[in-house]
Amino acid sequence: MQKTALPRSRKRRFQNTLPFWLILPTLIVLLVVQVYPALYTVWLSFHEREPKGWVYVGWGNFQRLFHQSLFHESIGHTIVFLVGYTVITMTAGFFIALLLNRKLRLSGLYITLLFIPWILADIIAGMVFRLLVIPDYGLLAGFLQNPAIFPPKGLSVLTAVPPHPWFGDFPFPPAPAMILLILASSWRALPFITLLLLAAMQTVPTEIIESSRIDGANGRQIIRHILIPLMLPTMVVALFSLTLTGVNSVGMIFSLTGGGPGTSTEVLSYLLYTIGWNQLRFGRAAALALMMAIVNWLLITGTLRLTRVEERSR
Amino acid sequence: MKRIWLPLTLILLLSLLLVACTSTGNESAPAEEQSSAATKETAPAEAKDVVTWYQYDQNNEDPASDERVGNEYLRNTIPQFNEAFKGKWSWVNQPKAFDKMTTELVAAVQAGGDVPDIYELSNTQDLVDFYRHGTAQDLSEWAKAQSWWGDLDPAGITACTGPDGGLYCIPMAERPQIVYVWKDRYPNGFPKNPDEFMKKAEELKGEGLYAMTFFGSTDKGGEGVTRAIWTTISSFGGSFDDGKGNMVLNTPENIAAIQFLREIVAKEYVPEIAFAGGFREEDAFKDASAGAFPTGLFGYRYLNPLTAPSGKKYDKGNAEDMLDAIAAGDIYVSPYLSTEGNKPGCGIDIAGFVIPTGAKNVEGAHDYINWMMEPEQNAQWVAAAGGGFPVLKATRNHEIFQAPLYTQASDALAVSECRPWFGSLQRPNEAQEQIMNAIYKLIKEDPTANIEEVLTKTQEEYNANN
Repeated sequence: MQKTALPRSRKRRFQNTLPFWLILPTLIVLLVVQVYPALYTVWLSFHEREPKGWVYVGWGNFQRLFHQSLFHESIGHTIVFLVGYTVITMTAGFFIALLLNRKLRLSGLYITLLFIPWILADIIAGMVFRLLVIPDYGLLAGFLQNPAIFPPKGLSVLTAVPPHPWFGDFPFPPAPAMILLILASSWRALPFITLLLLAAMQTVPTEIIESSRIDGANGRQIIRHILIPLMLPTMVVALFSLTLTGVNSVGMIFSLTGGGPGTSTEVLSYLLYTIGWNQLRFGRAAALALMMAIVNWLLITGTLRLTRVEERSR
Repeated sequence: MKRIWLPLTLILLLSLLLVACTSTGNESAPAEEQSSAATKETAPAEAKDVVTWYQYDQNNEDPASDERVGNEYLRNTIPQFNEAFKGKWSWVNQPKAFDKMTTELVAAVQAGGDVPDIYELSNTQDLVDFYRHGTAQDLSEWAKAQSWWGDLDPAGITACTGPDGGLYCIPMAERPQIVYVWKDRYPNGFPKNPDEFMKKAEELKGEGLYAMTFFGSTDKGGEGVTRAIWTTISSFGGSFDDGKGNMVLNTPENIAAIQFLREIVAKEYVPEIAFAGGFREEDAFKDASAGAFPTGLFGYRYLNPLTAPSGKKYDKGNAEDMLDAIAAGDIYVSPYLSTEGNKPGCGIDIAGFVIPTGAKNVEGAHDYINWMMEPEQNAQWVAAAGGGFPVLKATRNHEIFQAPLYTQASDALAVSECRPWFGSLQRPNEAQEQIMNAIYKLIKEDPTANIEEVLTKTQEEYNANN
């Protein structure tokens, strides 16, 4: 009896632990490529490199960041960029999705054309926009720098001085270069967001919309009371995607403005790049990366709370 | 049957994992193989590799490439080296992006990854970072025992010396900042002082032209500081440090220099594109809409194609355009202007070799450097790969350096006072960004801002982290 019982219990144990063994490879990969770098970043943020080796500096890297004027400026620029980028992309994406949802002729072609920006790398898209507005030599320079169109001296987008801020040191209204950066980033993100929203829109039952029309609802009321509530989970996903790319992406800034003119498009992600890559201050860069991770987390939980998706999903 | 599925699944997963792990290691192999293909052809199989990192790519044969001179140099020289060390060493070059190779080396040394045996140093300030990160080997003992040691210009040795007295690079070329000038715009020579400059600039403005263009943006981490900004500051007798590692910006000389820059920008003697970044300031010199361009001597390679004020085109689209324009007398090289009591200032960099910590073939690296110190090889390297003038005195009379570009530059430097912009500052990359941001703000963004206030704030912010 014992002889048969043992293999059975072993088999049962094996079957019970099988899911663990099956996900083990994934876990190992995750540990290596995600958990270890994350822990290393935390370690790095409390250390600084000196000729004698790595030195523990406690909160020193964080303190130095807080004392850096560019860090404070970058927070303001990041907020302006993030708000502009998400609002423009979401709004434009929603209305383009509405148009495409009307099943216009050649809507397949429109969707294909719309998708073009998405297949371009950030760096390339940035360079294309840059070539349009290079002072004196850009494709649109003749138009933009025409004093008759933009008095008194014309508009040189990449070098124009930011307007005087309305609220203390907060960089609003933004510099023309920041506006261009927001537009270029939105142009790049628009296809994905539009398709995401279009897909969600197409899942809304037409019966509901038809019956609301019969009940006398106008277009605006249908959007506000039917489409948006039913599309909300997808819109939150779109908002997550935009928020994360808005806070973290650096490619477009790198190729379009390089953080300039002056520091007027220097956002946190670009500051992180310059501290880590140009200045080789890995500890301070890790500290900033850690702070940005916390900001990302706060933004996501904030969005969830705001849209009350958590409660709805329970 | 069921019994078979479980082990099969596990084996499959394990093999997938193994493939995933091994494939990452193999991915880099083709690139390395490709980059070294040209070198291996001429070297016997038993020769040990001497791995170098250069910003040049021997496999790039594009005649219009920005780095054509360096690429061609490697293509010609690698077989020569392999022939000279047949059966012993084989030169394997791994091309790297010029603006990323420093960070890549620092990271590779720290991570214990593959590092080259020789690293092409093109920027003296990188040495400060190498020292802090323990990236470079101290070569003092070995270098002092070599026959060429006594023939090196002491300024080059000083530039390679770390704060602890160790020698962290072998200097090969001195790369100064000079001024390229269109002859038709300044037929009587580049102005000698600010007053002359203002007068001439107003004249040029009347003709719809700009007096000069320069790297005026905050792009590339404040790189502009190392070029015309420093040239101007030092020509006014200014500096950025106190000689003890502290940043000192708020000085009468610096203020005067900034006022000069502010004035020429406000009066539109400088084109708007000077502030656009991405090296686009060069465009205004290329089409001669700007009469002069203070930049590095090395920069001649990137200033093409050129259109002279007469309409004559130099349009080979490579480094020969500038040499042709100088030979034809359309462009000349000049010292910068200066204020009374000061010589025209200029920045100077050292190009040379670093043997990184963890290099596998130090003996090969030593042989490589010794070979490069042979007069003919030295001259070729300095002219093609390093750019500038030889640190090795014996090479200075080589015929290469008798070309008009070099003789004119030499004359300009003879009346100038060249020194590295960062002086005693120990965090030059950080300093250059802060200084450039401050100067950009003062001369372009907010020309009414109080100069003393902005400079004091900047130096205090830097010095707080000393």
